[in-house]
Amino acid sequence: MSLAIPQGLDNTVERPGERAPLVLGDSTYHTITEMVSQIAERPPSKAWMIGFAVSATLASWFGCCILYLFYMGVGVWGNMNPVFWGWPIVNFVFWVGIGHAGTLISAILFLFRQDWRTSINRAAEAMTIFAVICAATFPGIHVGRAWLAFWLAPYPSLNLWMWPQFRSPLLWDVFAVSTYGTVSLLFWYMGMVPDLATFRDRSKNKWRRMAYGVLSLGWSGSSRHWMRYEKAYAILAALAAPLVLSVHTIVSFDFAVSQVPGWHTTIFPPYFVAGAIFSGFAMVLTLMIPARTIFSLEKLITVRHLENMCKIILATGTIVGLAYGTEFFIAWYGQVGEEKFAFVNRAFGPYWWAYWTMVSCNVVSPQLFWFKGNRTIPWRIVVISIFVNIGMWFERFVIVVTSLSRDYLPSAWGYFKPTWVDWSMLVGSFGLFFTLFLLFCRFMPVINMAEVKATLAGQLHHHGDH
Amino acid sequence: MTDKSESRLHGTYAEFDSVDKLLPACRRVRDAGYTKIDAYTPFPVHGIDKALGIKPTVLPWIALGGGLTGTTIAVTMQIWMNGIDYPYIISGKPFISMPAFIPVSFELTVLLASFGAFFGMLALNRLPRFSNPVFTDPRFDRATDDRFFLYVEATDPRYDKKGVAKLFGDLGSGHVDEIYEDTSSNVIPKPFFILLGLLALAATIPPLIVARMRVTNSDKPRYHVFYDMDFSPAKDAQQVSTLFADGRAMRPDVPGTVAVGQYDEAMDFYTGIDMEKLSKIDAPRANRLVRALLNAPVAQDGEAPAAEEPAVEEPAKPESPVEEPKEGQQPAAEQTTAEEPAAESPPAEETPADAPAAEATEAPSTDAPAADVPAEEAKPEMPAENAAVPTAEPATKPENASATPAAVAPASAVVVDTTPWLTQNPVSISSEVLSRGREKFEIYCAVCHGNDGRGNGLVNRRAQRLLSTAWVQPSSMHQETLYSEQYADGKLFNTISNGIRKMPGYASQIKSHDRWAIVAYVRALQASQNATLEDLPADKRVEIKKQQELVAKRLAEQAEQERKKAEAAAKKS
Amino acid sequence: MTDHAIKSKSADDPSYQLPESLGALAVPMAIGGVVLLVVGVLLGMSAAPSARFTMSAYLTAFTYCLTISLGCLFFVIIQHLCRAGWSVVVRRVAEMMMIAIPALAIMYLPILFTLWVGEGDTVYKWSNSQYAAERGIDLASWAEKSRYLNPGWFTIRSLIYVAVWSGLAIYYFKLSRRQDETGEVTLTERMQARSGPAVMLFSLCTSFAAFDWIMSLAPMWFSTMFGVYIFAGSVLSAHCAIAAVTFILQSRGAIRDEVTVEHYHDLGKYINGFTLFWTYISFSQFMLIWYANIPEETEWIYARMVGTWGKLGLVLIFLHWMLPFLGMMSRHVRRNPALVFGWSVYLLVMHFIDIYWIIMPEAESSVGGAMGIVTSLLLTAGMIGLYCGGVLWFTRTNNVKVLAVRDPRLPESLAFENI
Repeated sequence: MSLAIPQGLDNTVERPGERAPLVLGDSTYHTITEMVSQIAERPPSKAWMIGFAVSATLASWFGCCILYLFYMGVGVWGNMNPVFWGWPIVNFVFWVGIGHAGTLISAILFLFRQDWRTSINRAAEAMTIFAVICAATFPGIHVGRAWLAFWLAPYPSLNLWMWPQFRSPLLWDVFAVSTYGTVSLLFWYMGMVPDLATFRDRSKNKWRRMAYGVLSLGWSGSSRHWMRYEKAYAILAALAAPLVLSVHTIVSFDFAVSQVPGWHTTIFPPYFVAGAIFSGFAMVLTLMIPARTIFSLEKLITVRHLENMCKIILATGTIVGLAYGTEFFIAWYGQVGEEKFAFVNRAFGPYWWAYWTMVSCNVVSPQLFWFKGNRTIPWRIVVISIFVNIGMWFERFVIVVTSLSRDYLPSAWGYFKPTWVDWSMLVGSFGLFFTLFLLFCRFMPVINMAEVKATLAGQLHHHGDH
Repeated sequence: MTDKSESRLHGTYAEFDSVDKLLPACRRVRDAGYTKIDAYTPFPVHGIDKALGIKPTVLPWIALGGGLTGTTIAVTMQIWMNGIDYPYIISGKPFISMPAFIPVSFELTVLLASFGAFFGMLALNRLPRFSNPVFTDPRFDRATDDRFFLYVEATDPRYDKKGVAKLFGDLGSGHVDEIYEDTSSNVIPKPFFILLGLLALAATIPPLIVARMRVTNSDKPRYHVFYDMDFSPAKDAQQVSTLFADGRAMRPDVPGTVAVGQYDEAMDFYTGIDMEKLSKIDAPRANRLVRALLNAPVAQDGEAPAAEEPAVEEPAKPESPVEEPKEGQQPAAEQTTAEEPAAESPPAEETPADAPAAEATEAPSTDAPAADVPAEEAKPEMPAENAAVPTAEPATKPENASATPAAVAPASAVVVDTTPWLTQNPVSISSEVLSRGREKFEIYCAVCHGNDGRGNGLVNRRAQRLLSTAWVQPSSMHQETLYSEQYADGKLFNTISNGIRKMPGYASQIKSHDRWAIVAYVRALQASQNATLEDLPADKRVEIKKQQELVAKRLAEQAEQERKKAEAAAKKS
Repeated sequence: MTDHAIKSKSADDPSYQLPESLGALAVPMAIGGVVLLVVGVLLGMSAAPSARFTMSAYLTAFTYCLTISLGCLFFVIIQHLCRAGWSVVVRRVAEMMMIAIPALAIMYLPILFTLWVGEGDTVYKWSNSQYAAERGIDLASWAEKSRYLNPGWFTIRSLIYVAVWSGLAIYYFKLSRRQDETGEVTLTERMQARSGPAVMLFSLCTSFAAFDWIMSLAPMWFSTMFGVYIFAGSVLSAHCAIAAVTFILQSRGAIRDEVTVEHYHDLGKYINGFTLFWTYISFSQFMLIWYANIPEETEWIYARMVGTWGKLGLVLIFLHWMLPFLGMMSRHVRRNPALVFGWSVYLLVMHFIDIYWIIMPEAESSVGGAMGIVTSLLLTAGMIGLYCGGVLWFTRTNNVKVLAVRDPRLPESLAFENI
């Protein structure tokens, strides 16, 4: 049962009427199992060790900074009148945005029956969860007294004698991000159960077998189980799809329900969502392309997968560009003085450098994906993706900082300066993210073997027909 | 595997290496009438539900139930918490703001529906289940890799070991074998329980400590991990602080500045005086007023003529207000006293000119102060009282107090009030302004002056009931001397701001705009008492006439009743 | 293919032709439409509250038909962009409605015409030179705004929108029809290659057309989301129209074997999804304006929250979103073609109410009494009659097949099965 498709086949070319293969090489069900399992079974490679050491160091540094912040108070950040939402919120929105690609790939592409998601969805979902962890950290420590953050929960308190304020977008955020984190975790974990069972059944070591056995909940592969499992997966996908939209929508509400010029604009919800998908896919590519080389997964994560993601980046990048343009146009069309000023100030005020970095990274650089060469040569994709990530961080910076630093009252204008703690926390959050991701690569199935096998089965099936 | 015969048979399986062999096999086995059949595959096989005759699941309903529960919880929770149990106004939104409740409702709906789908799936699949007979066969390890197993359970009514094996053989299976119940001990090892017990024991320690802390007292101060600003200095306005160089806890206003929105170029507006004219007549006084206005660290709207006279300058030494009234019980021409309020009250030497008796203006026209008395319906009130008002006019006190009414009266009578009072209300009159004026009048003025302005407010009535000797009857608004021809709007404003006789100034309580509104309202009040039917628009007249008749009728009835009552009382007595 | 046998019919099979029973309706429907339009306008001019009311009702009817066609255009482009296989059997139905755009554009001329007669403010208030002065709007900013909102530039922009849409529609229609004859695979490749830029052009034009043609009815109001809002309704109504028209075609004997329950199931999913998308967009727009409560924006929402318009707004919440969303949530409903047809027609009605609710409050603070309602309905019925008649007439006279018979992905679409 194998299908000899040359590994070098260019599966980005697809004759209408025929579907290009998504699994390349001399792959069988067993080789897929082998390819994926060996990553977790072999001793870690040197590259992994170095990467882990570096990122774990950064993550520890992040932890130290948080402790320092708790000890000293939020004054250690550059947040100062009038920019009280400085980098912590920029980082929060940035990470939440990154966290959108995973569930999007899993849920929306699943609903659209995009088979190519199967090779990348697992890693993207894991990335989602780690990004949400990084994201949730920032507002958590930004509240000032983080040890009292549980006051946000609506629990009957005998000390406070009050309830949270449900008319506040910040509380919606608490619910949205925690729901998103929980559902993403369920989705990710549920998708992993059959693959963890594979790991269990391949384990030679008793303890390993027991650990994976517990994690896989005793999955046996029964068809009845599969039937309910697929139903549950479809339901979760149908629930997660609007959830993905809602989360960044609610994050955008944090800004857009206010009256701050440059924040209050109705296009924010879809524009934030598009931006989130945009940055999320860029991050998936940034991670997957090196991982694919290091773990030799080229047969499963093919150039076609990469190209499709590039196309999504191109589409969402263009939507984001259109949204920038619309905002600018309507700011002028509306003829409201503050609004007009806010946008002119973004582009030509003291933060012009941030604005033009954002535009060139977010709008211009993805346009390179119009050229097929840029969509199919991995290193070029990585470079452009990194630019997109930089651009998306700057987008949030531009929104948060330029609008706050110059709003209605000129006498209260200011200029935001980050401190070393701000820098450390930004870098440190990347450390945390990569640490978690590397641990995931080491111990969990990085590719959804069951789904790839199903794709292969379809491929074999069609091959038999034609 | 060694003692197969001893343990109970669980079923028979057939192993296949491709989906294409598995699916027909499934159909055949189903068609052969077996019902307790299942397939074990490494991935979900499309079409196997039909091949095995698996019925659809109820899972969507569980998810739907979860979702509806979530919506219900979220909506009721938010309405209860923000709308009923703890309502407070925020950003002008209603307590129960459905649009603002939608995000959380949506999130909770999705959350609980997801729980329904996930945990429902586990429950329906009876997972987690760590011991499964099929796991006893090592070949089954490949069910999660690349092999497909078809399985018939021994409990199937048609089950027959050999028959099944033969059927499987015909289907082209690579391997057919039986599965036996798992015979390994299902006793949980003891160390596990010991460990669990120790953990449980350890887990009780923190709650016990907390519980103990809660019921016992300690004389040691609370240990602060985080200071939570518990020890940060909290200072009141007049306290000393080491934080600032000048030792004050609060920052004084910057001299020469006026807070945003507090300054109006129209000095006239704040003083009731035509400053332009005043500066021509009496430049120093105008100067003083302006300076006082600009520097005054003052209440509310940052304008306080009262502060023209800094309190430090001449500490007030009011004579006991109690004894004073006694001195001057005789009805005196109150009008003749110098009761010009604080704003004007100057250093001593300026008294005569600068603190003109408010009514001195009238003096020339009415000739004799005495003549005013009846008009004013003045009750016992003496000039010295002025000095007894301790609040705003310390400087005037010494003079006035020392001067006997008799002495002052002639003196001030000749002093003509040259102050160029504004004769027109600077606020443009509208019904809003009037109703504002009415509102403020009824809050601040009516307690003494009465709602109708006749000087018979609640306080006055109470004072009369107590026969209070110190009480000065508040003026009625309805006397000619207070009409605008004789008592300019600006002057009335000044009186409200700075007080007169026993009446204190209200500058600190009522904003200037509102004081002007009161002036406007008082004018309306005065007009109302002398209005004729012709003053009204035609369409109201009929109504008024009707009401007049009605009132007249009622009054007559009332009078009749009272008369009868009186007669009855008289008869009785 | 074990479970599914592909039906092989010749490309000239009669079931691929427009059924005669439908084709015969073309002329009567078109004539009836014109008559109704004329009667509607006459009635409007004599009995409706104002000329602005009548013309706005006309604009409503026009926008209603246009949004459906635009949605179909988007559907066609996006299917090519995604190289979709499942949708090939219904794509031609969308193409039939999409090609109506150039003809429909002519129906906008009366509206454009109003800009050039009299004060020019029959429909668009900004065209009146006294508009700003009368309302106490800051004249400097108004002058700035007038550089964009003036009859000349507005007309040019309208022509650009029409040109772009028509160009795209004709291009995709022509190539698709040529493939009916030749079956060239390269045609599909060409359409795919052009679909990226096409979708960009489309979204740019649609967004700005929404700003110009509809948003500028309230000259001082603005919402960056507005283009997306119109687009959401447009895509939803297009999917409904495709499902409804396919069902009607099948009931008259065409493409009976080709479009299966599976395709209805998918269309049903999309309809359900876009119902949610429309709700999402309109709720977000409402929420942001309602919450921030800034006067220059709130006026638009406020006018639609009070009186008759407020009631219509509630109708939209419950009947445009909640009822159809819950009604179509079940798989069993979506797999029942008759029910999908029913819900599609229902949502098409709701889409009209949506457009009506967007446009009419700018003309009048009420629905204009019984005569106003009758005028609106007459004009709408007339426009729809003319639209349907035109589509049928074009399809019949040009002998357009109702299925893309030689599309290389047709077999995939025929064999399509939902998981």
